[in-house]
Amino acid sequence: MNISAVSLELASLSLGLLTIILGLIFPSFRSKNTGGYLAIMGLISMLIGSLYLPASNTQTFINTFYVQDSLALFFKQLFIVVAIFVNAMSLRYLKPYTKNRGDYFALTFFALTGMMIMASAAEFITLYIGLELMTFTFVLLTTYKKQDLKSGEAGLKYLLLSAISSGVLLYGLSLIYGLTGKLDFSAISTVFSIGSVSPLLVWAIIMVLSGLGFKIALVPFHMWTPDVYEGAPTPITAFLAVGSKAAGFVAFIRVFFHVFAPFTSIFMPLLITLTVLTLLIGNLIALAQTHLKRFLAYSSIAHVGYILLGVIAYSKLGLSAILFYLMLYLFANIGAFAGVTALVINTGHDRISDLAGLWKCSPFLSVIFLISLLSLAGIPPTAGFIGKFYLFTEAIHQGYLWLAALALGLSLVAVYYYLMVIRTLLSGTSEETQPFIIPFSLRLVMIVSAAMTIGIGIWPGPFTDLALNIAQSFY
Amino acid sequence: MDQFTWLIPTLPLIAFLIIVGITYRFKLLSAIVATSFSLGSLFLAISILIQKIQSPKTTETFINWLTLTANQQTVLTLQMGYLMDPLAAVMCLIVTLIATLVLLYSIGYMKGDDGFSRYFAYISLFTFSMLGLVISNNYFQTFVFWELVGLCSYLLIGFWFFKPAAADASKKAFITNRWADFGFLVGIIGLFTHFGTFNFAELSTVISLHQNTLVLLILGLLVFLGPMGKSAMFPFHVWLPDAMEGPTPISALIHAATMVAAGIYLVARGYILFASVDSVMIVIAYIGGFTALFAATIALVQRDIKRILAFSTLSQLGYMMMALGVGSMTSGMFHLTTHAFFKALLFLGAGSIIHAVHDQDIFNMGGLVKKMPITVWTFVIGSLALSGIFPLAGFWSKDEILTVTLQHHFMGLFILGTLVAFLTAFYMFRLIFIALFGDNRSGHHAHESSWTMTLPLLILAILSIIAGLVNTPWFYQWTGMSFSTFLFFKEPEVPVIHWSIAVLSSLAAMSGILFAWIIYSKQQISADKLAQRFKGAHTLLLKKYYIDEIYGWLFNKGLLGLGKVFNFIDHILIDGLFDGTATLIRSSGVQLRLFQTGRLQQYALVLFIAIAAMTIWGVR
Amino acid sequence: MIILFYLFSAILLAFALGTVISTNLIHSALLMMGSFFAVAGLYLLLQADYLAMVQILVYVGAIAILLVFGVMLTRKGSIEESNLPNRYKTIGLVTALGLFGLLARSITYTRFPSPPLESPPQNIIAIAQAFLLQYIVAFEALGILLLIAILGAILIGKEPK
Repeated sequence: MNISAVSLELASLSLGLLTIILGLIFPSFRSKNTGGYLAIMGLISMLIGSLYLPASNTQTFINTFYVQDSLALFFKQLFIVVAIFVNAMSLRYLKPYTKNRGDYFALTFFALTGMMIMASAAEFITLYIGLELMTFTFVLLTTYKKQDLKSGEAGLKYLLLSAISSGVLLYGLSLIYGLTGKLDFSAISTVFSIGSVSPLLVWAIIMVLSGLGFKIALVPFHMWTPDVYEGAPTPITAFLAVGSKAAGFVAFIRVFFHVFAPFTSIFMPLLITLTVLTLLIGNLIALAQTHLKRFLAYSSIAHVGYILLGVIAYSKLGLSAILFYLMLYLFANIGAFAGVTALVINTGHDRISDLAGLWKCSPFLSVIFLISLLSLAGIPPTAGFIGKFYLFTEAIHQGYLWLAALALGLSLVAVYYYLMVIRTLLSGTSEETQPFIIPFSLRLVMIVSAAMTIGIGIWPGPFTDLALNIAQSFY
Repeated sequence: MDQFTWLIPTLPLIAFLIIVGITYRFKLLSAIVATSFSLGSLFLAISILIQKIQSPKTTETFINWLTLTANQQTVLTLQMGYLMDPLAAVMCLIVTLIATLVLLYSIGYMKGDDGFSRYFAYISLFTFSMLGLVISNNYFQTFVFWELVGLCSYLLIGFWFFKPAAADASKKAFITNRWADFGFLVGIIGLFTHFGTFNFAELSTVISLHQNTLVLLILGLLVFLGPMGKSAMFPFHVWLPDAMEGPTPISALIHAATMVAAGIYLVARGYILFASVDSVMIVIAYIGGFTALFAATIALVQRDIKRILAFSTLSQLGYMMMALGVGSMTSGMFHLTTHAFFKALLFLGAGSIIHAVHDQDIFNMGGLVKKMPITVWTFVIGSLALSGIFPLAGFWSKDEILTVTLQHHFMGLFILGTLVAFLTAFYMFRLIFIALFGDNRSGHHAHESSWTMTLPLLILAILSIIAGLVNTPWFYQWTGMSFSTFLFFKEPEVPVIHWSIAVLSSLAAMSGILFAWIIYSKQQISADKLAQRFKGAHTLLLKKYYIDEIYGWLFNKGLLGLGKVFNFIDHILIDGLFDGTATLIRSSGVQLRLFQTGRLQQYALVLFIAIAAMTIWGVR
Repeated sequence: MIILFYLFSAILLAFALGTVISTNLIHSALLMMGSFFAVAGLYLLLQADYLAMVQILVYVGAIAILLVFGVMLTRKGSIEESNLPNRYKTIGLVTALGLFGLLARSITYTRFPSPPLESPPQNIIAIAQAFLLQYIVAFEALGILLLIAILGAILIGKEPK
């Protein structure tokens, strides 16, 4: 038994439980932001602690069903970073909700635990339970604004559709178990590598693809995203867009790069088709959006398409490109969602037209939006450029020139809609005349994410090295 | 001196950081910081150029900015570094010189503007990016800075973003360039996957082994898309006239002298790639030639002083591209150099006029010659140089281009070039006779601008007069060298004057001026009657051949339509498909209905149908 | 054995179909209980006696009853016509039948590893060992999941004061 393999999960869990218990003992703990500060401090110490965990060698907890390899550790650190940002964004955002603030912060810990379990699971049952833990917590977080009908509707939608997609995923898993008699990844891949392809196996692959595709918002399993993103509290939308999606990707990577490796000829054509659809739908529908959060939802769908280019490339560099892209995607999205949070705090709205004249109200916020959106659009010197360059180069390198060209072409469309938003924000007049109030915590989130976006863009070396090392050890 | 090359772009970057970080609140100080750091770069550029003239050897230094290794094998190396050769040295000089003069000029021009410090920060950032592009030693770095200059251009065109026209223009410029850069990026990644490097020197070694291969043809054309966008060649030209919404000094710096010339510069820099496939060269030559004529005709009828100059810039860029395409890098670069001086002069002069008159319509000016003599006379010098009147700078460079066109047996392009020379002289002197001389038509109270604005005009006027001399036989006899023996592709050439061509082009230019004088100064032929007579052609030119309208239509109906169609499919059509009636439209207020369970069931159905479709395909 | 299998399957299908078709929510819930019993019977045939017991205890004894209570407590007015088929009857039916057809075809074409997986004679001990040793992480995570479910029920259900 190796406790260090689950130390981060245990820490996250204990902090979550502690937050609940403190809330039960001290009523003021639940109605104030104390829980949030505690959460942020706890998460930061977890992040620092995680740096001292051995990253180079793979550790297992009890048996090979639960591993902590460098891939898992990377994703866990990614999740912790997201959670820190989300909690910091929430502090001021939750002001109108004085009742259960403590529970909100506790729930973020449970979501985090679920994601971490997904990152480390090397066996389908554990993976599934981790996924459910995450999903369930997100449902609660999504419905957090109970007074807001949209929030409740989003939560219900997310719950029911997740249940359906979980059913599909479970069916696929049961088929795999029926075909191989195994549940852990390495045993299954051993069986697969000598076995032949049966029609039911194709079913299993497709069902797993749909179940995980639902979490990463792959078209046509994306339809919940805009509605849920719109209804959820904005910091939670950021958590969903970055954290939940990254958790989906780590499972995706483990399953498709490892378990299903002998069957690339089966799932690759499907994956390519879905990627093309994802790129098309995400980029083109984003053009027609009027709500910032729906807009960012479609943009995040488009980004899934770009990231999947790395899966399609199916190489070590492709994997490292995915990991690298997820890092910069995190900072760019957090910047954008922090911007939306600030907008909501100050104006109460989140339509794109509400951005009009923002420059005069808050140049700072405008610059943050500018940097984040430029990074999402992939313009140098922001990190988005080098990330896209990396992904596209690797896709072309592996012979998918047409796909890379399509993605590049659609990223042009993306530039257009990002610029539309930027244009609205720079020109135009607003009804608001007084300067925006941006609380310190939110300001800090924005500064850090913008600085990282520019920083990774200017000096990507350390980050690509990190991604490459992880990809190397995973392969 | 070469080892200090990296300092040339770094100084403006430092200026940018200082302005943003420290002096943002102190307007004048910001301007002084920007100007003095730019001046520093200028001195460095001059001394490096002098050194290059003494010993024209190439130096290259780089660091590996990003290295990706897999299995102890380097898969991808991205370099950041500099390549200093005569080409880069000349370009560095042009950029730093114009930038310094524009910065100096802007102190007067932008006085009292709210965004004074922001303006100087942007220009410093632009200068840094442009110089980073110029000294780049590989395609990747070029692309990064290429995008950066595009971004700075976006910010500067939209500098007065509260004007909707400026915001739209900046967006248009950016998007148009992205379309071109799409090809460019695919091209350079293709170069990398095919030849394994981004480095200019390494590429030229490899490419010189191949001639006229299909891969080179495709890659050459793809890469050429980049210069077409940046140098606003037809059909990407639409952004440049609109870019005039930015402050006038910006138009001088970015949209006349430096950034738009980056396309020309890149073709010259990667010349071996294009020169190795004959058909690519022919494409370049004809696109250049066509743009030259196309833009010159539009310039004939415009009323906005900056738009006339913008179309003139387009036309001249076409000229340069044509020169490169027919096979003479020297003449293209030479025209780039002289053009940078006199076009910057014209734009700054126009800025001085606009500053005084507060109007951009040439028909609302007039009678300026007495009120602002320095501006007017330097403007006339610039126009004469642009028209190619002996012995000003434009004469020599234009003459050189026409000569090489004829030498390489492009008879059609030669005639076209001569025609463009005529048209150029005509529209420039139309502008001069209407706007500078004649009567004061709007009762404006113009007065001469301050010294910070007139000094750059005078310096540029002097350069517009003498810059052409560096490629004359006399200069060669005097110093033993000339522009064409300093900067060349493959073989240096000794400058000679072809008298017949010189006389012909001068005649064309002179007659252009004469016609303009007859129509607009003497008014012996009525311009209005001419317009009436050729109404169709006149409207066509006035509307710029309707290209903007066509693009607008394609874009709004095409792309946005496509977005709406997909949105429709994604939401409404699926509703309709399952319901028979499309009842739930999000934006119509229905969205507040408690729970849209219908939609929920649709989503679930889509999910299962997708699974069914996938299995039908997957299982087969 | 074979006869019993088909018997349980037939009951299961009939009750499941009834659950979907019935227009009265309470009827649907009760029919669903019946289908749970049939599933438990199938488990017994597979010698998964512990699972069969849990199925009855949890699903029939707790979940279905809770469901009925939930319906009765939240529903105002007549319970008749409370579970009408939705607008997507036809297309839903086509999709379901299509999926079934495809799946059935695939299953008949697939050779499963034979002999089928052996189930250990001592079911409960094996399950306990699996839960507390091999699948400990999943087991613990399930505990947290239940905690969150309770927490969530309180959060959502509690009347805002």
